[in-house]
Amino acid sequence: MVRIVLPSVWTEGHRTEFSGTEGSLNAVLKRFADDHPGYRRRLLGPDSEPLGYLNVVVDDDLIPRQLRAETVVAAGSTITIVAPMAGG
Amino acid sequence: MGPMLRIPGGSFAIGTPPWMLDWLERSDQPLPRIWFQDETPQVNRTVATFHLDRDPVTVREFRAFVDDCGYRTDAERRGFSMVYGVDGWGDWDGAHWRSPGGPGTNLDGLDEHPVVHISYGDATAYAKWAGNRLPTEEEWEYAARGPQFRIWPWGDDWGGHEANTAEHHAGTLTTLDAWRKWWIAMVEQQGAMPLTTAVGSFAGPGDSPFGCRDMAGNVYEWTSTRSYLYHPATECDPTVRAATGRYRVIRGGSWMNFRYQVRCAERIHGDPHGWSSFAHGFRCARDD
Repeated sequence: MVRIVLPSVWTEGHRTEFSGTEGSLNAVLKRFADDHPGYRRRLLGPDSEPLGYLNVVVDDDLIPRQLRAETVVAAGSTITIVAPMAGG
Repeated sequence: MGPMLRIPGGSFAIGTPPWMLDWLERSDQPLPRIWFQDETPQVNRTVATFHLDRDPVTVREFRAFVDDCGYRTDAERRGFSMVYGVDGWGDWDGAHWRSPGGPGTNLDGLDEHPVVHISYGDATAYAKWAGNRLPTEEEWEYAARGPQFRIWPWGDDWGGHEANTAEHHAGTLTTLDAWRKWWIAMVEQQGAMPLTTAVGSFAGPGDSPFGCRDMAGNVYEWTSTRSYLYHPATECDPTVRAATGRYRVIRGGSWMNFRYQVRCAERIHGDPHGWSSFAHGFRCARDD
């Protein structure tokens, strides 16, 4: 399993940590969006691909956009979604 | 370029005291306490005397820069910038400072409004051209409220007529759902034009102790400070923690925000790698 962390402003006070299944980063995010459709528009574009303007940190590493498709997220890792404007 | 104000140096406690978080939690606003905790703990800072733009940089001023050196903003080079439409935030093709609401929109009547769709790099480039620099986060907050803590630049009372926020346009807003309904109605009625106001529209009642204007609302303002926590053990939103060391601090809130998001100590963190939106602008500083 992998841990997926969302910005708390997305969840409006509800839980921000979720579990997902390991795999390629894009696949993990797409599966998460399928399992939690309330966050789909925040994570995926009209083409059902992860939105390019979101930053994604795996454990402590910011994953460059061009490497997301080939990045594999191992079990036990944490994916943190960082919007281009964080905090509030 | 517009006037700069001389801000005498001094010491102050940057950030938010604990009672402020309690007050936010009790207030009729929808954001969780953890969302504001990166403003804590307060820590002592000293700023040297500096000069700060009285107002955010306007469309007219930014146009002079572009006309002088042919600068193209990140949004123009990339071909898109962020706009909040009926489906939420999106990277809209053709949105940039000359077309603030996306393709088909223009700057008619907006010369004295703050320029928007400004990335960190755009703001830095303008400041350099003008012989200035961006303010640090410490300078920005000190200029906004002086040495004594106050919630907003003018004091601790919200009258509703001191700043350009979403509540200025929509009336009191207390939920994100109400905000979305208001904004979607606006978009459907007049498109996604940012609701900036001419700089100084709230002069007088909205001024900071040093006379700076529009430091609450109107446009988010980039600072030069790399995002960090005031104390490494601060419990805050984990996505904010992930932004530390990577993003730059943004201050002041914007026309999109609730009153609670335009406080002097409010801080958010922006991706400095070319990202911009229809609510982001800046002002400049320089040394004494």
